[in-house]
Amino acid sequence: MARRIFLTLIVLFLLAIGMLPVLSMLIKSVIVDGHFSFAYYAGLLTSAHQWTLMGHSIALSVLVTSLTVAVGMPLGVLLGKTDLPFRRFFTVIFTIPLLIPPYIIAVSWFDLLGREGLLTHLLGASVTSATAHFLFGLPGCVFVLFSIFLPIPMLLTMIFLRTINPRLEEAGRLVSDWRGVVKGITIPLILPGVLLSAMLVFLLSFGEFSVPNFLRYDVFPVESFTQFSAFYNFKAATAAAVPLAAVTLILLLTEAAFLRERTYQLRPSPEFKRLPMIALRRHRKWLFASVATTGLVIVIVPIVALVIQSSGMNAYAEALNRAGDSLLRSLMYAVIGATLLTFLGFFTGYLIQTKALKFWRSIDSLTIFLFALPSTVIGIGLISLWNTPWTNFIYSTPMIIILGYLAKYTALTSRITVAQLAQVPPSMEEAAQVAGAGWFRRMVFIVAPLAGRGLLAGWLVGYIFSLRDTGITMLVYPAGHETLPVRIFTLMANGSPELIAALSMVMITATLLPAGILWMIPGIMTRKVIR
Amino acid sequence: MKIVDIDCVSKFYNGAKALENISLEIDEGERIVILGPSGCGKTTILRLIAGFIAPDTGSISIAGELVSRDGRIIRPPEQRNLGMVFQDLALWPHLSVKGNIEFGLKAKGLPKIERKHRICEALDLVGMGDLAARKPAELSGGQQQRVALARALVLEPKVLLMDEPLSSLDLELNVRLRKEILGLQEKLGFTMGYVTHDRNEAFDIATRVISMKQGRIEKIEKVRTLTS
Repeated sequence: MARRIFLTLIVLFLLAIGMLPVLSMLIKSVIVDGHFSFAYYAGLLTSAHQWTLMGHSIALSVLVTSLTVAVGMPLGVLLGKTDLPFRRFFTVIFTIPLLIPPYIIAVSWFDLLGREGLLTHLLGASVTSATAHFLFGLPGCVFVLFSIFLPIPMLLTMIFLRTINPRLEEAGRLVSDWRGVVKGITIPLILPGVLLSAMLVFLLSFGEFSVPNFLRYDVFPVESFTQFSAFYNFKAATAAAVPLAAVTLILLLTEAAFLRERTYQLRPSPEFKRLPMIALRRHRKWLFASVATTGLVIVIVPIVALVIQSSGMNAYAEALNRAGDSLLRSLMYAVIGATLLTFLGFFTGYLIQTKALKFWRSIDSLTIFLFALPSTVIGIGLISLWNTPWTNFIYSTPMIIILGYLAKYTALTSRITVAQLAQVPPSMEEAAQVAGAGWFRRMVFIVAPLAGRGLLAGWLVGYIFSLRDTGITMLVYPAGHETLPVRIFTLMANGSPELIAALSMVMITATLLPAGILWMIPGIMTRKVIR
Repeated sequence: MKIVDIDCVSKFYNGAKALENISLEIDEGERIVILGPSGCGKTTILRLIAGFIAPDTGSISIAGELVSRDGRIIRPPEQRNLGMVFQDLALWPHLSVKGNIEFGLKAKGLPKIERKHRICEALDLVGMGDLAARKPAELSGGQQQRVALARALVLEPKVLLMDEPLSSLDLELNVRLRKEILGLQEKLGFTMGYVTHDRNEAFDIATRVISMKQGRIEKIEKVRTLTS
């Protein structure tokens, strides 16, 4: 009974922080001067500008998705299934861009390829004129978003490779070489993961506003953000956000219909450490060179550009002087956000894994929907719901930011919990139950410790995504409570390139430092699967 | 004629001994059953013969050709002309029964007409002709077993390796399939390397039983002569 009541409360809380804002936003957008009206939506269908935006958004998302999957899947196979040297190192390197705010990657490329960029000093203005032309517009947006989202298909490919029963590949190896086995057996078996990654990349590209905004490519999220922040036209902003929500919903329903059953079977094979690995032999050298060059170009070079641009202690001193308070706030909100996300994700994940309530699947779909929903939609929804005289204690305090984090990122921590709990036999909790332990006692002393590694990983992911969040925070932060990503974003209009680069480096360090520390503590990332 | 020759083979996993100085010869057409408790190294012997792993010391030859030696695989699995039925059968879930059987034929580059003919033959052999379009998940345990057999036999392997293939079945089905396997072996005359921990099963099937304990061969018992 205690379990049912507590989990129902968790569900109600999720609905309150996630669905209520979106519903409130939709309802308010169809009430004009006290009457029901679709006036703002009519403009969506009749305006050529809106159709252009839709065309831009779809073109950007399709190109980014195609490119990331075309490169990310083979990269995932190389890093997860072959004897390529430094596989773990490359995995970490390629993952870095996903962990830092997207526009920082755009800034770093601007520092390198822009008209006043570092390349100008090396190759002359005529070259950077061409590179700047490439950077600002669709090709630049595609390239920058490709480098940011590449880890998604790469990591999902690697994860799904671990779920394959090694016998299936060995059965193929008896009659075919590795090329035939990968083509005929391995890739079809990981296809649900590849399709899932394609859908995630599409949705994230579709909802991304900071990179297209910086690189001046008009897409729906930019329109929605501009209508809200520049013109404070709430209803027009909502109307511009609705196509984003609609596309997200359609794609997720498609995923639920075709892929969900298959992705639910995601369990690491008990023998994943003995997975047959492909010996690259004579292909090893050139493949290593290709992977190293790709990593160098899309990860190392932009970060080095930031380091060079920010060189000199003065830039860092000015950065801390002008944004030190924002940094501290960011760290504080990220720590609070991560802790609450871990708590909420743990119970949501437990609900999903144990199917404790009848509507467990709807809850899973809700968290995924909120994660896939563009940040601007969630931000506008939060303002719509909480900006009232009675709820000012939320709207005018950092609580609104934290609620945004919880709404958007619970899917991440709950999925991590699901994956972790899938490795804990149900008999562990049942044994405690037979011994007379109540539900809370079982959760605290049995389930949570057994899911400890997942909780830690969940906290880390929650911290990183809370810290890097720009879209929600930019819209909802109360006066005097701006975070570092927001501060950098606003300083980009009038701050010097050195200052922006230094702040970006501070941001990258704050994001990656906890991950690095946890990585180095022995045993934390290497605990064995419970059988 | 000697078809498999295992010569002074040892194998270690992370320093722990899995096999110690094993020597074994298997004659053509013979039905060898390796019998022993869990962890005694019996599956390791099959995996060494198949070429999924290499012996740390010693050598293995198949049909007179050296296939692996002292930590090195000379002939990879696909070049050894072996069939294998795995303990969990390892039927590819995304392929139909026909697709499972056809995969190896395609890999060998056989033309479509011959592939079709060989698939029909293999399915008839195990009595599964009418279920070719089904996916493995749509079959019963016994039917899956037959598909695994058909897939292993369709390439007419020199040696068929079977790693506790009947262990997950109930006794009645286990006994029935044992008879079917024996019937097929006598009809086709392939050499068989069979692993089990069940003594009755071992002596029911084998022409020779190799009993193993802690990575060593404890004794070898001749059970019966070949009927064919």
